[in-house]
Amino acid sequence: MLDRFFYREKGLFLQSLHPLSALTYIAVLLGLVLMFNHPLYLLGLLAVTVTAIKAVDGIDAWKSFLKVSMGAAFVIIIVNAITVRAGETIIWHGPYIPVFGRLNVSMEAVCYGADMGLRLLDIMSIFCLYNFTIHPDRVLDLLSRFSFKSALVLSLAARMFPAMVSRLDSIREVQTARGVDFNTGTLKEKMGKYALLIKILLLTSLEDSMETAEAMYARAFGSGRRSHYVRDAWRPRDSICLAASLLALGAAIYGWAKGLGTFSFYPRLDCLIDGLTELVLLFAVIFLLSFPLILSWGWHNCPFIKSKI
Amino acid sequence: MKKLLSKILFWLGFAIIPVFLAVTISGKTSITREWGLTASIIILGAVGLMYLGFELDASSPREIALIAVLGAVGAAGRVAFAALPNVQPTTFIAIASGYVFGPTAGFMTGSTAALVSNFFLGQGPWTPWQMFAWGLAGSSAGIVKCFFPHIGRWGMVVFCFLWGYFFGWILNLWSWTTFVKPLNWQSFIAVCAASFWFDTFHAAGNAAFYLLFGPGFIKLLNRFKLKMIQKYEE
Repeated sequence: MLDRFFYREKGLFLQSLHPLSALTYIAVLLGLVLMFNHPLYLLGLLAVTVTAIKAVDGIDAWKSFLKVSMGAAFVIIIVNAITVRAGETIIWHGPYIPVFGRLNVSMEAVCYGADMGLRLLDIMSIFCLYNFTIHPDRVLDLLSRFSFKSALVLSLAARMFPAMVSRLDSIREVQTARGVDFNTGTLKEKMGKYALLIKILLLTSLEDSMETAEAMYARAFGSGRRSHYVRDAWRPRDSICLAASLLALGAAIYGWAKGLGTFSFYPRLDCLIDGLTELVLLFAVIFLLSFPLILSWGWHNCPFIKSKI
Repeated sequence: MKKLLSKILFWLGFAIIPVFLAVTISGKTSITREWGLTASIIILGAVGLMYLGFELDASSPREIALIAVLGAVGAAGRVAFAALPNVQPTTFIAIASGYVFGPTAGFMTGSTAALVSNFFLGQGPWTPWQMFAWGLAGSSAGIVKCFFPHIGRWGMVVFCFLWGYFFGWILNLWSWTTFVKPLNWQSFIAVCAASFWFDTFHAAGNAAFYLLFGPGFIKLLNRFKLKMIQKYEE
């Protein structure tokens, strides 16, 4: 059921990027979404993200993300509307509630809630993109250069995880063959039966961990500097994407320091477009962030570009 | 020396948050705008420092394999119970591991379970917060054991129950700093009220897990710990 949310290798352009440049691109998108609160900027970033999700063939899964985000955005709008007192344009005078005071709903608070709902959708979409673009193993591979022990713990656990789920099934079969019926009994009895499953799983896995440790000893783990080999090639496409992402980040930080891309909701809503520079920065950032998408289009449609990158 | 440094870095990860809160309350920061970004950076920094602490620690292959196994069991438990809203054995497993193997192992177990289960359930902006919250659950169990070695079964049941709420509140911090303005205690209470039933399910699940299987699990882990030490001495 859940497998349509996972990474699937489809040989697409964005999936072929080096994990470093793909991670940088996604991190820059995320950073910008957290930096800016201007609705137009958030919409622009959403457009880029959704186009990228389309490029990695994840639109079906994204629709489920959209539903979840809508629900959460609704909660955010409600929480903002009932707790914020800073707005001036009151659209509903509510009753007096102990703790919270008088329940007045202002238009500014509703707009702020909607804007934050948009930010939430942005963030969810970026993670949807992440899940479809980079294989977890490649990230761990990258991480193991800097912190090999933590990366080793994580890759061991990630490797054991599917094995454990299938082992859980076989332990259940063994128990069933011995006459344990998992569907009958009171809740307490049922929980007891399931607990036994987890206990057997833990016991056998702990025994196995000793063997893993011995195998690591046998391979001279921790005896000196760790050797590693490079599996991912760095290609021109990676340099271009990395440079575009970093330039976008630089432009965004420059604009942010100048106060662009921020929208003040209280006490009254700001003007949506506050001068030309705000729009110029928006287009510059969106253009730079679209670079990988343009390359993706070229890679799939134009043999010349494909041969060069 | 390296061991001391690793300990310092690990505890610095926890200290960074109260220090930052104190600075904020005293009004000596110039952060007025993006608290969502700031909070994410701080939580990433805290988790990063703790991992760095673990990295510098002279941990043996046995400890590494053990933590990986416990983390994977926690992750498998979370996925196995994914159908029930917020009832999962992960918090319980992190607490049990921290209680037996100490704060560092407890932290690593909790945070590994969070990260690895999200490989399969989907990574999100909540991942570092979950890593921190579950890691803290494991660490705090280790600390509780240091200070109250005879806490007893019911004491731990209450501890597990409380962690259901603490976990929810830590995750609420994320949505609160990122999506709500102004940041005051009223709005925080409103966010917590919205998640109250989820947290209660989580707390009740934790308490039930500990009540029913806690002592058996702890006995099993203790036996294994003894076995590990025995093997070292050979």
